[in-house]
Amino acid sequence: MYRVMIIDDEKAIRSLLRITIDWEELGMKVVGEASSGIEAINTIEELNPDIVFVDIRMPFMDGIEFSKLAIKRYPQLKIIVLTAFNEFEYARQCIGIGICEYLLKPIVRKEIKKVLQKIKEQLDAEERQECDEEIPVSGLSSIDKIKDYLHYNYSDSNLNLTKVALKFGFNASYLSRAFKNETGKSFVNYLTECRMEKAVQLARKGKLMCEAAEEVGIPDPNYFSKCFKKNTGKNYSELRKKN
Amino acid sequence: MVPKISLSFKQWFSSLKLKQKIRYLFLFILSIYLVFYLVMYCFLFSGYMTDYALKNNRNSLMAIGSNLTAELDNISDMSKLIMANNEVTHYLKSSSSLGLRYSQNTVTAIFDIMSAYDNIYSIFVFKSDGTYVHTGRGITLVDKEIMDGPEWRKEIYEKAGGYVIRLNGGGAFTMKRGPFSMEPGEPILSFIRQINDLNTQETLGMLVINIPVSILEGTYKDADKTERKFCYYDINNNILSQGEVPDKLKNMNVSDSPFDQKVIKNLFSEEILSYYHIPDISMVIAGYERIGYEQIISKETAWMLIFILVITGFALVLISAFISVYITTPIQRLVQSMGSVKSGMFKRVSLSLPDDEIGHLKDSYNDMLLEINHLINELIDKEKSIQKAELEVLQEQIKPHFLYNTLDTIGYLALENSAENVYDALETLGDFYRKFLSRGDREISIEKEIEIVKDYLKLQKLRYEDVFEDAYEVQEDLLEVKIPKLILQPLVENSLYHGVRLKGEKGIIKISVYLKDDIIHIVVYDNGVGMSKKQIEDIMTSDNNKSFGFKGTIERIRYYYNCEDVYEIRSIEKEYTEVDIKIPFARGEKKDVQGNDY
Repeated sequence: MYRVMIIDDEKAIRSLLRITIDWEELGMKVVGEASSGIEAINTIEELNPDIVFVDIRMPFMDGIEFSKLAIKRYPQLKIIVLTAFNEFEYARQCIGIGICEYLLKPIVRKEIKKVLQKIKEQLDAEERQECDEEIPVSGLSSIDKIKDYLHYNYSDSNLNLTKVALKFGFNASYLSRAFKNETGKSFVNYLTECRMEKAVQLARKGKLMCEAAEEVGIPDPNYFSKCFKKNTGKNYSELRKKN
Repeated sequence: MVPKISLSFKQWFSSLKLKQKIRYLFLFILSIYLVFYLVMYCFLFSGYMTDYALKNNRNSLMAIGSNLTAELDNISDMSKLIMANNEVTHYLKSSSSLGLRYSQNTVTAIFDIMSAYDNIYSIFVFKSDGTYVHTGRGITLVDKEIMDGPEWRKEIYEKAGGYVIRLNGGGAFTMKRGPFSMEPGEPILSFIRQINDLNTQETLGMLVINIPVSILEGTYKDADKTERKFCYYDINNNILSQGEVPDKLKNMNVSDSPFDQKVIKNLFSEEILSYYHIPDISMVIAGYERIGYEQIISKETAWMLIFILVITGFALVLISAFISVYITTPIQRLVQSMGSVKSGMFKRVSLSLPDDEIGHLKDSYNDMLLEINHLINELIDKEKSIQKAELEVLQEQIKPHFLYNTLDTIGYLALENSAENVYDALETLGDFYRKFLSRGDREISIEKEIEIVKDYLKLQKLRYEDVFEDAYEVQEDLLEVKIPKLILQPLVENSLYHGVRLKGEKGIIKISVYLKDDIIHIVVYDNGVGMSKKQIEDIMTSDNNKSFGFKGTIERIRYYYNCEDVYEIRSIEKEYTEVDIKIPFARGEKKDVQGNDY
């Protein structure tokens, strides 16, 4: 089963994609969705998809920016752009950064299936090279350093696994597993927790949500709000009102 | 009648070409010049000439008078010789019984004296008793009856020895034409005086010397011409001169004043009538003179006049030619060149004209054309810009992405929701597009514009649920006011995408329309992320896509109302943005709208 991720700022589109395509028949499974580029780049680590549907026009981080980052991190990732804009400039940029397909809305199931089948064949042909490297013992102390690093640098919205791995001299996927082994949490979840701890403080100080979101390194307040609720069980505004 | 003529003259004159006008003007000036010159000449020069002629005339009269005096002095001398003659004295003193011998001697003596003088016709010497002796060159008849009349003698006595001159001796003497003719001959002047004794002063007799009248004519013969006539009057206003005398001279009134001149002015000539009482002689010399202008105007002055006229005419022709060459012809050429404007061709005039006022006129004209072309181009550009901006907005909006996205949304509704919701969404979509495209009108009522926005937001709510609420606060009486189409929707779209959605919390988009100080305010408020000062400053200058809808909309409003100040953005970062579109409210549209102070 290939893992599929859907990124679109419209919930309806995401849902439509989920329910109109018979994923199982294609040997695929929708493992998650994101409503913005920011959210996607933060959760892609965890979801670990093979195929990504992405819209272009989204707030904070558009589809093209996201694709650039994602392909840099996961060169074998298959990205399908799904947009209502039939613009040459977009198409040109997409080809430039190695996006597989450029599909236009409204959604036509036949087309999507055709494209997915083609991609599936490609994926089948590619040997997935899983690097099963040993976890070096010396890495253990590094995890603490990384944790410290995250506590200091969580406000950097560009902070991500690949970047940190590069900084500390690790392979990204190795670090991912090592981090989880060591801390019991994924890198992304740990970083988000750090950020949310800080966010709670900000909420108590009475900061506006969008200000708090920017300050903790999640410039997309929608995603911030989602994370906040998930981590604290409360809405940001609720917590802010209490003070 | 006169105003009518002057009016039609005015019309006629103003209808003439400039060249013709100048020609007529010059003709007029020339005539005025000529008339003025003649009048000047007549009044000044002819006056002077008349004075001269009068003086001349007087001198002539006096010269003639002295001629006559000299002539009569001769006769007087002769009469003294006769009176002093012994024979004559003897004859006068002798008794009447004395015989013929005395008288014979006396006649001889008189004849001797007479032969020394010219022009004497006959001499009579009367004694007191009426007898007489006489001698002469011809026969003179004597009428003694007239001579005996007291009236006839009275004057002679009174003169007491002085002489009296009478035509034909007052009728007593008549020249006989020939020995056998009974007809009277030439008239004679009788020179009559009393002879007194030198010692006793006793009256002895009377002397009569007859002279032919032609002696008078001899005195003015040299001065007499066709234009100049003279004649003699005696003291009783009888004409003495024989021969041709003009009527005017004949009928002249001679008064007692010693000298008088009278000027009669005619159209082309002057006549001078004058007379002069010759001193010591009871006779008047009268003169008549006619002076024609041809005499007044001398040959030289005539030539000078002609010369001046020719010079003047030449000068006028020269000026006329100058005006023609340097003014009217260039203007005509300019007018011809400018004529192309009539046919809609705004071409510059490229004539080589002198660098004077006309050249400047051409330059100014060209500058004007340049400016006109510039303005036309500007207008065209402006019109193009408006159309472009409108088209761009339409393209931006109609560009099917909104439709496509909405279709997908509705597709989802169909799969997951009730059919009624799907129908509602489709209805809204149809309604939106119908109004949005609105038959290509450029203007739209505020009411319709708001309906478009309502539909738009309703569809957007389907796509981004829970992101925002919309609210409307519209002054009812402004609903019918027309505004440029699609100025509200792009602003609302901005509020949604660049305001509310970026905030992560449920926002509000509020549209208010109200009238304040004759300006319609269309305000789009959202409590989204707000804008920084720099963003507000940059929004009209930057080229990025985000500001595009706004920029195009503002530019359209500016063109449409020809007014720069059409918007205001109020914002606090992270809190709200308020875009205030200010549209001038035309009073004519007001109808029942009432000013509302917000």
